[in-house]
Amino acid sequence: MAWTLPKHLRDVLERGLDRQVRLAVTGLSRAGKTAFLTSLINQLRHAGLDAQLELVSAVREHRLLGAQRVDQPDLSIPRFPYDEAMASLQASPAAWPTPTRGMSELRLAIKYRTRRASRHLTGEEATLTLDLIDYPGEWLLDLPMLQQDFHDWSGTMASLMTPERRAFMSTWLEKASAHTPDSVVEEQTLAELAAHYTDGLHQARRDGGFYFIQPGRFLLPGELRDAPVLQFYPLVQLEGWSREALDALPADSLYQTLKARFEHYKRHVITPFYKSYFQRFDRQVVLVDVLTALNSGPAVFNELRYTMNALMQSFNYGRNGLFSRLFTPRIDRLAIAATKADHVTPDQHDALQTLLSTLMSQPLQDMRYANIPARAFALASIRATTVKKLENVTPNALALSGRTLEDQEVLLFPGDVPSTLPDETFWARQGFSFTPFHPARHTSGALPHIRMDALLDWLLGDKWL
Amino acid sequence: MTDPRPPRYFEMPETDTSVHWKPPHAYDTTTPVTVWEPPASAPENGTDSALDRALARPGKRRRGLFALLAGSLAIGTAQCGVAVYEAWQYSNWFSGLWAGLGVLAAGFLARGVFKELKRLSRLRRHARLRERLEDDSAPVGTLDDLARHMGLGRDDPHLLAWQQAQADHHDERERQLLFEHHVLAPRDREARRLITRMSTETAALVAISPMTLLDMGLMAWRNVRMIDRLARLYGLELGYASRLTLCRHVLSNMAFAGASEIAVDMGAELVTMNLAEKLSSRAAQGLGSGLLSARLGLRTQRMLRPLPFREEERPRISHIRRQLWQQVKGSNEAEPR
Ligand SMILES: Nc1nc2c(ncn2[C@@H]2O[C@H](COP(=O)(O)OP(=O)(O)OP(=O)(O)O)[C@@H](O)[C@H]2O)c(=O)[nH]1
Ligand SMILES: [Mg+2]
Repeated sequence: MAWTLPKHLRDVLERGLDRQVRLAVTGLSRAGKTAFLTSLINQLRHAGLDAQLELVSAVREHRLLGAQRVDQPDLSIPRFPYDEAMASLQASPAAWPTPTRGMSELRLAIKYRTRRASRHLTGEEATLTLDLIDYPGEWLLDLPMLQQDFHDWSGTMASLMTPERRAFMSTWLEKASAHTPDSVVEEQTLAELAAHYTDGLHQARRDGGFYFIQPGRFLLPGELRDAPVLQFYPLVQLEGWSREALDALPADSLYQTLKARFEHYKRHVITPFYKSYFQRFDRQVVLVDVLTALNSGPAVFNELRYTMNALMQSFNYGRNGLFSRLFTPRIDRLAIAATKADHVTPDQHDALQTLLSTLMSQPLQDMRYANIPARAFALASIRATTVKKLENVTPNALALSGRTLEDQEVLLFPGDVPSTLPDETFWARQGFSFTPFHPARHTSGALPHIRMDALLDWLLGDKWL
Repeated sequence: MTDPRPPRYFEMPETDTSVHWKPPHAYDTTTPVTVWEPPASAPENGTDSALDRALARPGKRRRGLFALLAGSLAIGTAQCGVAVYEAWQYSNWFSGLWAGLGVLAAGFLARGVFKELKRLSRLRRHARLRERLEDDSAPVGTLDDLARHMGLGRDDPHLLAWQQAQADHHDERERQLLFEHHVLAPRDREARRLITRMSTETAALVAISPMTLLDMGLMAWRNVRMIDRLARLYGLELGYASRLTLCRHVLSNMAFAGASEIAVDMGAELVTMNLAEKLSSRAAQGLGSGLLSARLGLRTQRMLRPLPFREEERPRISHIRRQLWQQVKGSNEAEPR
């Protein structure tokens, strides 16, 4: 390698040479996105030193040299709060990173020694730029709304009104049923109704654990709080009204008012969000909190499946050639991961992974048809428990030792994970209760994890060849 | 806290037919040791592998031979024993010494046969272990069996590196990946170096040897040595019988690979190198023998490696032939046309 290209020429080459990746970390609220990103950054920064990344082939071959944060492309949005997250994990007592309230972005420059033949021309050392974004999971659910108009959306919402969900929305349902679509409703009343609707959403999310909560901004309005654009709701009682009759209603009718606000919401809230953050991804990891959904029972679990199906329609998938890589990148490889795998014993990981594949079978089939490689993982971004073997209870029985959220040291067998969807009678008989854990206090070195390395190798292994 | 469900609930997914993927509870009731220790002499139904079949086939034919050998050995020993006793009784010292020598010889012979059988059974076990690892659902612990079987000492640096790389949440596939990297990859590299060196040496020797008969002897001797060393590299010690079976299997495998592959391997080589113009016939013979020997080595390696190569990692002859070519060209230039 006596002769290498000058530096600026090298930069141009690298852009064309497929050394920039934008990773979509997709997950509903509380799925573990922030924890995942924190761990990802942490592992890459400690790669080759004390990070446990044996399953990353570049690390095994001692080719990964490390990673550093560099200036992000869009300077107007906040940086991902990595230091804050690490600080809360290192505090005493340690705590999970706080729930995300807004957008943030981070760019990592990953240095590695390449194995490609082109190294003789461009030098052995190469840099992969990895762009990461974090956002509140609530906002993600707005994306499917882009493909619907007000009438369709109302229909969808009506079909989701299961008895369990109805219980949380009863006040709103009662008050809203007093107004027919053709009535003229005062601004003040409308605001009240929307407030009741928002309360219902909050309750369904918080107490019922439901996932399909639309519109997402109602839960986390940010600077849009109390703006009229957030004062609408679906009309779930449209029986007896044809679409034509509704469309012919005057502009000041309830239906038309709500419809106008819905369209405004789509155009001025969702679309910019989608355009600036969700269009240009190369790789995707879909995080699903299967265990918590199992805890919440069959209605929620089925809704999770429905929600994930709807969500996956919002991304562009396809093969990337040189042209599309430069101008319209598409997701050409993805991983789906069941997070918080440290809540169960390692012998359950297989079942967890199978269950996840069953849950996501529709999107996985679509990926297969589109010839996009996809793989399922059971993963823990930040491992909070340790596994113990119970010698004198039953031979080889496993248990977890950790601290529960109530701050109690426990040694427990958390229960089996079903590898297929349980049937009605089982839910009625037993159900699940996986215990969440407190993070162990982090002192130094890399964060402990489960299978982050396998996932990294799958997602990026071909990029740092 | 939920009660653990009954195990039957988990037996549903795909692998109904396989006995391996039972939930861990199943292992508790039986004694785990007996499950994993492969029975060394029970080839009744486990013989569906190609190598296994090849190794098992002569078993029937040999049984008579073996009985004959063991019988005559026993009778001979007994006779010598009686002769010693008689010699002692009648103070017939010379015939006594002869008979004693006979007992000693019989002892050596028996020991040799025993060793051979042991090595043969080790080869067979190796094949079976490999077979088990080949399908994904190898039971937990097969890799540890393999490490033990390969004769890796407790302080072997590669083994230690492997053990250090593991975490308690790794599953079998992940452990296997690490095993390949930490234990097998160094051996693969060593094997490739060995094959390259020995085949180039063979090429050079054949190129300068004056007689065809000598060539053949050379080839046989060098190749057997190569196979031996390869086997040792992957933790197998070969006796006469096991070497024979292995050689036979490698050869039949090469023959089975078919003329097309040979043509691809050699033909393209011969064409691209424009042999006719550049080489004397002796050097060409050397090159041919070298290529053959390299092919043999690669085949043997493929057969001996406890985990089969993944397609993209499989060593190919193209890696070796450049060096061969250099070697032969060197000797060609040294020799007047
Ligand atoms: N035991 C364990 N718990 C985890 C792990 N990852 C996330 N959690 C738990 O899940 C909670 C939510 O994780 P976050 O990373 O904040 O989730 P998020 O997807 O960023 O959520 P939003 O910001 O609300 O969209 C955490 O507070 C933890 O309690 C993990 O790897 N192990
Ligand atoms: Mg977050």
